[in-house]
Amino acid sequence: MKDYIATVVKNEKIAENVYAVTFDLGEPAKVRCGQFGNISVGGTHLLRRPIAICKVEDSEVTFCYQIKGEGTQKLKTMGAGTKLNVLMPLGNGFYVEETEKKVALVGGGVGVFPLISVLREYGETKEISAYIGYRNQGAVCGVEEFKKAHKFVGVTDDGSFGEKMNAVQAFAADLAKGNRPDVVLACGPTPMLRALIALVEKENLPCYVSLEERMGCGIGACLVCVCDMTDGKKARVCKDGPVFNAKEVRL
Amino acid sequence: MANLSVKLCGVTLKNPVIAASGTYGFGREFQELYDIGQIGGVSTKGMTLEPRLGNPVPRIAESRGVILNAVGLQNPGVEHFIECDLEWLKSTGTAVIANVAGKTLEDYEKICARLDGLVDMIELNMSCPNVKSGGMAFGIKPQSVEEVTRVAKSGAKNTPLIVKLSPNVESIAINAKAAENGGADCISLINTLTGMAIDIERRRPIIANNTGGVSGAGVKPVAVRMTYEASQAVDIPVIGMGGITCAEDAIEFLMAGATAVQVGTANFTDPYAMPKIIKGLNEWCDKHGVLNVADLTGTLQLNGK
Repeated sequence: MKDYIATVVKNEKIAENVYAVTFDLGEPAKVRCGQFGNISVGGTHLLRRPIAICKVEDSEVTFCYQIKGEGTQKLKTMGAGTKLNVLMPLGNGFYVEETEKKVALVGGGVGVFPLISVLREYGETKEISAYIGYRNQGAVCGVEEFKKAHKFVGVTDDGSFGEKMNAVQAFAADLAKGNRPDVVLACGPTPMLRALIALVEKENLPCYVSLEERMGCGIGACLVCVCDMTDGKKARVCKDGPVFNAKEVRL
Repeated sequence: MANLSVKLCGVTLKNPVIAASGTYGFGREFQELYDIGQIGGVSTKGMTLEPRLGNPVPRIAESRGVILNAVGLQNPGVEHFIECDLEWLKSTGTAVIANVAGKTLEDYEKICARLDGLVDMIELNMSCPNVKSGGMAFGIKPQSVEEVTRVAKSGAKNTPLIVKLSPNVESIAINAKAAENGGADCISLINTLTGMAIDIERRRPIIANNTGGVSGAGVKPVAVRMTYEASQAVDIPVIGMGGITCAEDAIEFLMAGATAVQVGTANFTDPYAMPKIIKGLNEWCDKHGVLNVADLTGTLQLNGK
């Protein structure tokens, strides 16, 4: 973990309301898939924006973000050459065991981006199937990356791209055909994750989910971004997560 | 090199910069970024006798220049702190200030007695705006500020007691005096201002608790004014806080009457905020021919006087 003074290399729209910003950190960074960075947009915005790391190439790191409020609006306007503070890498990230050969990625919304980082890390050593749900054609992004997977099933809520269903339904349909992974890695809206957790419990599949929560410090000190665990305790999404064993977290 | 050390109720701090409770945990996470032994002191996450789970999420929101939080005193309990964090935190070389809260008067006495002699100072949180019982209720009326202080001091016999004051009161001067009358060795202020931020799409408050404590750069003028008023009202030392982001901000509080300062929200904006403030204090003192930072305390001169 380091607070990099990162220089914007490019910052462009990749889908409706979604942008990708690439920073040069000035030195190569060691990042695990599923980790995130806490980006300072400065000015009157006192909180940093925690955003999943999508891609790392030497000293360049790419984050994809949805425009949600004033902070991401401001981030969007930052052109090449702008310098920002980026504290990273943060959180635990995804980890695929040696014995787990077949990996299913289930993602929706902005949750697709941490899954791209999984594909980049494990794409050559694991057989990866990606089940990705978008709201509609306009929201579709990352397809070029997902197409590099062993299998890519892209679906939309309205059927304007792929079949009309959600990511969990797409995964369930493939599961019903006998395509059973060794592990499921997921990120997306809470209702999607709830549906997925119910499914993997029934199917007795190992599953890890990456969570999102409003954060304060981003490093585990302030206890702002907690989630409920099945043992009744609380865990810190930023430090103990953002990736949790689906059996241990209660959404 | 100016002398940055300050003396607070017999405790010598390397410098007047203290991490504010709730923004710094027990220091371990920040130790991953820098040596926290260089910080004047650490006020721990607010602790209670028993572990607490705190409020539902979301616990934080942002508004221009400030943030709102309602963590609700989630903490592992004082025994966990004593067993797992205390010795380590002491070993870093920073002054250890245990921030404590209670539901009842008896809780305050018990937790202070438990920590008495184990830590450098105890800071009473009787003004947390985010918990339903105790907390805020104790910190509003001067009579109860005095009563809680007296009871807590009967537990903290050998440890300097800091009373952290709420700004959500009728008169900060009267409450500061009440803490002093109750036996406080020091006061700190301001705790957060109660506020609300609304998600207009959902027509609901952003924070699950509906209201939250407002802190950050935007509250600084209020905090400086209250630090001034409180320090005029009492003879015990004052720790000032509220929106401190840089060394110049810290100097305002010192001039207003504070002996030391606490830095909270700035740790979120920039995790290196405190080492930078300490460095900046030294530079400012050198540039202005100030040999001891302690000489700045209370040097404010009001206009027209």
